[in-house]
Amino acid sequence: MGGEGWLFLFAVLMAAVLLFTMVFFIIMFSDLECDYINPIDLCNKLNQFVLPEMIAHAFLTLCFLLSGQFIAFLLNAPLVGYNVNKIMAKNHMYDATEIFRTLSGHKKESFIKLGFYLVSFFYYLYRMILALISESD
Amino acid sequence: MSSEPLNLPQGWEARWDAQSSAYIYIDQSTGQAQWELPTQPSYPTSHHSTSSSAPAPAPAPAPVSRPGRRHYPTAQIQQMYAGGGYDQPPPVQPLAPGYGDQTHVAPQFFTPGMADVQQAQIPQGQFQQPAYGQQPAYPQEKGVDQMTNQFQNMQMGYRAGATYGDQKQLHSIQTVNLIGMQPDVRGLDSPPPAALLAPNAAVTQSPHIQPDPSYQRCTLAAMPTTQSLLNKSKLPLALVLAPYRSVREVDDDMPVPVVEDSVIARCRRCRAYINPFVTFIEGGNRWKCCMCGLSNEVPQLFDWDQRENKPADRWGRKELNHAVVEYIAPTEYMVRPPQPPVYAFVIDVSQSAVQSGMVATAARTILENLDNLPNADKRTKIAIIAVSTSLHFMSLPPGSTEASMLVVSDLTDVFLPKPVDLLVNLTESRPAIETLLGRLSDMFQEPQVGNALGSALQAAHQLIGKIGGKIIALTSCLPSLGEGALKARDDPKLLGTSKESSLLNAASSWYKTFAIECSKQQVAVDMFLFSASYTDVATLSCLPRYTAGQTYLYPGFNASRSEDAIKFATEFGRVLSMPIGLEAVIRVRATRGIRLAAFHGNFFIRSTDLLALPVVPMDQNYVIELQLEDDVKATTVVIQTAVLHTTCFGERRIRVITQAMPTTDSIAEMYGSADQIAIASYLVSKSVEKSMTSSLDDARNLIINKLSDMLTVFKNQVTSSAGASAQLAVPDNLKLLPLLMCGLVKHVGLREGVSIPPDLRSYAQALLTTLPCQSLIPYIHPIFYSLHNMSPDAGTVGPDGHMVLPPALNLTSERLERHGLFFIEDGQNMFLWVGHEAVPRLIQDVFDLPSYAELTGGKYTLPVLDNPFNQRVNNIVAKTRELRRGVYRQHLYVVKSDAEPALRSWALSCLIEDRMDKMGSYAQFLTQVKNKVSRV
Repeated sequence: MGGEGWLFLFAVLMAAVLLFTMVFFIIMFSDLECDYINPIDLCNKLNQFVLPEMIAHAFLTLCFLLSGQFIAFLLNAPLVGYNVNKIMAKNHMYDATEIFRTLSGHKKESFIKLGFYLVSFFYYLYRMILALISESD
Repeated sequence: MSSEPLNLPQGWEARWDAQSSAYIYIDQSTGQAQWELPTQPSYPTSHHSTSSSAPAPAPAPAPVSRPGRRHYPTAQIQQMYAGGGYDQPPPVQPLAPGYGDQTHVAPQFFTPGMADVQQAQIPQGQFQQPAYGQQPAYPQEKGVDQMTNQFQNMQMGYRAGATYGDQKQLHSIQTVNLIGMQPDVRGLDSPPPAALLAPNAAVTQSPHIQPDPSYQRCTLAAMPTTQSLLNKSKLPLALVLAPYRSVREVDDDMPVPVVEDSVIARCRRCRAYINPFVTFIEGGNRWKCCMCGLSNEVPQLFDWDQRENKPADRWGRKELNHAVVEYIAPTEYMVRPPQPPVYAFVIDVSQSAVQSGMVATAARTILENLDNLPNADKRTKIAIIAVSTSLHFMSLPPGSTEASMLVVSDLTDVFLPKPVDLLVNLTESRPAIETLLGRLSDMFQEPQVGNALGSALQAAHQLIGKIGGKIIALTSCLPSLGEGALKARDDPKLLGTSKESSLLNAASSWYKTFAIECSKQQVAVDMFLFSASYTDVATLSCLPRYTAGQTYLYPGFNASRSEDAIKFATEFGRVLSMPIGLEAVIRVRATRGIRLAAFHGNFFIRSTDLLALPVVPMDQNYVIELQLEDDVKATTVVIQTAVLHTTCFGERRIRVITQAMPTTDSIAEMYGSADQIAIASYLVSKSVEKSMTSSLDDARNLIINKLSDMLTVFKNQVTSSAGASAQLAVPDNLKLLPLLMCGLVKHVGLREGVSIPPDLRSYAQALLTTLPCQSLIPYIHPIFYSLHNMSPDAGTVGPDGHMVLPPALNLTSERLERHGLFFIEDGQNMFLWVGHEAVPRLIQDVFDLPSYAELTGGKYTLPVLDNPFNQRVNNIVAKTRELRRGVYRQHLYVVKSDAEPALRSWALSCLIEDRMDKMGSYAQFLTQVKNKVSRV
């Protein structure tokens, strides 16, 4: 298995992990809506995952860039830009005092990210298989 | 009911009924009997409609008092059998004097023979009165006058002209044109449109089944049935609450009735408290929840008087007669035994604080108010921490008269230097506390520059966190050391730009995180800020905002000016002596279909419908936006607010406020029932929020857009006059909303301008979101009186025992006269405007000065002189101060019409109908709105 195959195998795994993170976020948000968790605990819990998620995604994108997978890189670059922008504006962390006002926005964002990771998961899978086939030829 | 039959009106006789242990009152002329104390003399009437069975001339046999036997609302039953039904007004209360021809009140008593019928009837359930529309029309000969009387009797509202006899009463809509008209500012005091409930909506006919608007009011008095209707109408749907408002004798307030027997009937499913709008079914053994429709059992002891150990009259229960009641909660409502009130004072003793005299004034005020601190059961605890470059803990051992000071200079990892004697019982350590406060300001004479406020707050939090309570922080400079240190960030270049809103947001997240910690441990923080320069109110006010405290700002405080010292001492004293509620949660419940969408005010939102307040201060306002997630099917919706709190005398209590309103599916009816004060209050909170999340420009646009949207819908849908017109039509009940919005756009919290310090803006915004309606309205639309030509009775006590105030004037400088004396008040400040041609006599009478030239403007204390005019002016000032709920004591400024341009323009900025800098006059504001309206 060559470099490209390994890269996309790694990307598939990362996409799966990110996917699960988003599912976790969404479950937590609906827990909050149903009053199963209080906003302070929720924010403490989710804030642990915010930066790792962003770093993981940025790392993956960097890998694409370095290995010359420009299509995959361009696919991911807007999200990296969005994340960086959020960190610069210092509103990447969930704020327990504002969470109810911004909850619908957070949920929407999580759903969009979920969809994005899902699409990219299948794309990476496809590219991985493609790489494997081309190698075996 | 069992009150002594003293001072019976003429023509009434009281007889003791032994069986029911109560007096029965007999009208000697008609032979009618009733249980209620008559308030009006009886005189023979020729009125024919003694439709009810003639009352027994002898004392009516008492209700059969078999133990466990239930009592039913005799008045209603009587109506049922009275045949005539609504031939006569439902007996709500003895008629007020003055409604001459209706002296006849249906007696509320138990009629012999009725008991049987009653029992036979009850299984069919529900004391349903015949539907309103099926009633025969009112006899013609009863004039309009009488109709109005009946109207008032039914507590339907005070607005004559509503259509009658329809299936449902509707608000009449009078369209008013605003363009070219001077607004009638006196209309601001008028009550909101009443909720026109069906006559059988409540189980009792008490006049108090709807809360006073100062406790809770809704923007609409008729609830739309669907969200799409609400969206289409563009009217906001929000609840404006001040559940813990002060009850004062000067306002003729009724104290909140307390249900003492801890029988708390609640719905099993939605947990709503029983209220006047439930229905009793199955012979009164069960009640049907008015919110979710579930049938619940009536508690065993509901009809039992536990004190006297005898059956009680269910219809006399306070929760069925009052919209605002307080329950004494049993132990199930407690997480822990009721905690004592705890106060931790964090006092800044840095150089600027000592020099300005803040420390000395604060210490003296605490000392003077030690007796006024809520301490009914001698459990109140107190701690004092002085802070400058290091933390100074005060050890106050009980029984000793000596206090000692422990200095901790480690600001990063705050620890308590001593496990005991730092938080002490007020009563036990009183001598030490008094000694300490007596010499507090002398202890810190050597200048120390720097303020480790954040670390001190952490220390205070550690000290009282186990119990919870209130931290009162007094600081006169920006926190510069330790945790939560801030930098001066008030860049004048940002003012007036879209970046300005960043100055209205917190600079550091430390204060938010700390606020959450405090809220978790039931600690509230009050901030008293005394700034000579920038103190970052926006950041520091985060703590009070999320812990249900309050921010107080004293710009340029200097205790050597007696006005400053008095203002601070009075307000601080009121905060200290305020009876607070501890460890509180507010939950709002509403009829199925209604959802709480957003919250505005000082608290922490703990879940989608639960607000956590470590301390409930008095007279704080909360705004809650409502949405309709499902169609509302009920004909009456009920919105119930419950505040569970521990009183400062160690009782767990629940204050329940129930409000009911009919539903409607007509936009016209929604407009007819809209409450301009509540809408204004909602828009204030909404625009302040917008100014923080977006920009001040957006906030002002939001106000104008919302207003023009409403007026567009009103024009197109209600008055159905599409197209451009020269008029701006509003319903009569909203006619002052544009004026209030004009005031809001020009308010210092939202005004366009490059010269408003961010501190003042932030403070104004904090006030805008917390002031109760009664103070908020003057804050955005000040009161304006002309004093030099007021009528002779103004400023004196009128025949009704209340002070007569001069008529309020429109806020325009057209009213100012060169020789006049004017009074402007916005709830926070008062201005006495003196015209430069004022006659020396006037100056002499009011200020005791020979001429206008001698008078200097600025903060002023009016002398009390021995002449009637001075006394009347003083009376008006005193009355206005007394009128406003809340702790604030307004500064009085004397403004000379030709000197001190800054002060003069400040006073003129209160005249909101005028042009001001870039902002247009009220007429221009209306034109702007009208253009938007006709563009659609």
